[in-house]
Amino acid sequence: MKELNELNLPENLGYTEDHEWAQKTGETIKIGVSDYAQDQLGDIVFAELPTVGDTFNKGDEFGTLESVKAVSELYIPMSGEVIAINEELDDSPELVNEDPYNSWMIEIKPSTPEEYDQLLSASAYMDLLKG
Amino acid sequence: MKTTPLHSWHCSQGANMGEFGSYEMPLWYPAGAKAEHLAVINTAGLFDTSHMAVLTINGKDGRTLIQRCFTKDIDACIGQNKTPLVAGRCVYGIFLNQEGGVIDDAIVYQFTDNDYMLVVNAAMGKTIQTHLADHVLPDEQVNVHDLTDQVGKMDIQGPASGRILAKIIKDPAVLFDKMIYFSFKGSFDQNKLPFLQAELLDNTPLMVSRTGYTGEFGFELFVAPQHITSLWQQLLEAGKEEGLIPCGLAARDSLRSGAGLPLSHQDIGDWPFADNPWLFTLPRDPDSNSFTKNFVGREMLESMASSTWTLPFAGYDLRKIPLGEKSKVTDLDGNILGIPLTCTTDMAIDRVNHAIISLASSEEEGKPENFQPKGLCCGFVKINTKLDAGTQVILTDGKRKLKVEIREDIRPGRTARRPVTKMIPSL
Repeated sequence: MKELNELNLPENLGYTEDHEWAQKTGETIKIGVSDYAQDQLGDIVFAELPTVGDTFNKGDEFGTLESVKAVSELYIPMSGEVIAINEELDDSPELVNEDPYNSWMIEIKPSTPEEYDQLLSASAYMDLLKG
Repeated sequence: MKTTPLHSWHCSQGANMGEFGSYEMPLWYPAGAKAEHLAVINTAGLFDTSHMAVLTINGKDGRTLIQRCFTKDIDACIGQNKTPLVAGRCVYGIFLNQEGGVIDDAIVYQFTDNDYMLVVNAAMGKTIQTHLADHVLPDEQVNVHDLTDQVGKMDIQGPASGRILAKIIKDPAVLFDKMIYFSFKGSFDQNKLPFLQAELLDNTPLMVSRTGYTGEFGFELFVAPQHITSLWQQLLEAGKEEGLIPCGLAARDSLRSGAGLPLSHQDIGDWPFADNPWLFTLPRDPDSNSFTKNFVGREMLESMASSTWTLPFAGYDLRKIPLGEKSKVTDLDGNILGIPLTCTTDMAIDRVNHAIISLASSEEEGKPENFQPKGLCCGFVKINTKLDAGTQVILTDGKRKLKVEIREDIRPGRTARRPVTKMIPSL
């Protein structure tokens, strides 16, 4: 298990209490899970993701990540419509363990872009992990 | 929380730790549970099992006490001909309460006619000691000792286990000679039993038991606690080239599920021990279908009518359902049949034209070239009706619904019973 000081928490992302991250890329948002989440889950063996066109409200469950140990729900950090899913995870879900910040799960077109500003900064997220 | 002597080693290697049976144990190491599961199928894995409890039973009435409390008939349990348990052999069975429910499962080892050893689950030493003591008759001579935390134990499991162990023990050809499944040699107590000698090259005495909890070829090793870290490191060093890696409880759970072995207090427990895949532990006479001896729990098992059936299942892909209050088993129409007891993923198997094939299967058994299994969900369900193998049921946690198949067996090609001469060709 990683010590807190070994966790990689990039500054340019917004985080949630449920350990998802959101990244602004122009008008759209990519969403994935944090280094802490993948470390806690262990080997990720399956990602169950929504389909393009699905819409969610902030906090809705949008899919599940399955590790050898558990099945974990994914909660969407911002409201919006799914415009892409990362199909690479179909064949290689372990990429989430290897590189959690390049292994995004879905890309959305946010319906309420200002929700991004309510997400936790890297340091606020670290404070949350410290408890 | 309690710890084993290897606790600081696990932490220093970055293991993800979790609680099991009041001990803080490694769930997986940085290699990950999948790699650990596959290592045991392909080469070998090493498990810290010092959390398990060891008891000794000594005295002229020890055998009688075991016969009274243990389900297996130890006067009729070895081989096809059901010969008595003898020195150097061990058997798996169950301790039941008067209501026919499971207190724990155990392996009983015989050293001499008057000396036996029991291995039970973590935190169960005291419970089993008390249970046994409660069943000693006034004029009987027997002592039961709980050696919890006084014996170090580790399991090396997988096809390369014997070859790796052979590198660090004295006279491997002698040790492994006639070492059949469920036999053992040596002792972790230097003062005991010179006729069954087993020693490491550095003179450490150990007990080598050809048993395990993975369904694969391998050994359970017992040493005095002061030697455990040294033995652990010697094995990892000796097994480096073969690909031996330390394995945590997650891999242990997925391996034993695929092998069709129960987890005590989860798949068997405080309900009548009947209509499940492990009835071979009961002393049933195949001709008369009656029991061959008296034992605690017998009356209840004989008098009650069947009401639940515990059956193995396997899914069609690797997805599983989380177990909890909402998890249920239903038929294909949604009628509730019961509950899942274990639901995990065996990462070494997959379906090929409906049949389950393992990485360990041969090409004759249908393993395709470049077989890369994605894993299958598997485990046990407890349901209110008897279903034949091949019947499909649904597992649900209230949200996800998974179709799975009732099975007689799960992972094919298991190596646990293969001849030792085949597994260690250098002998």
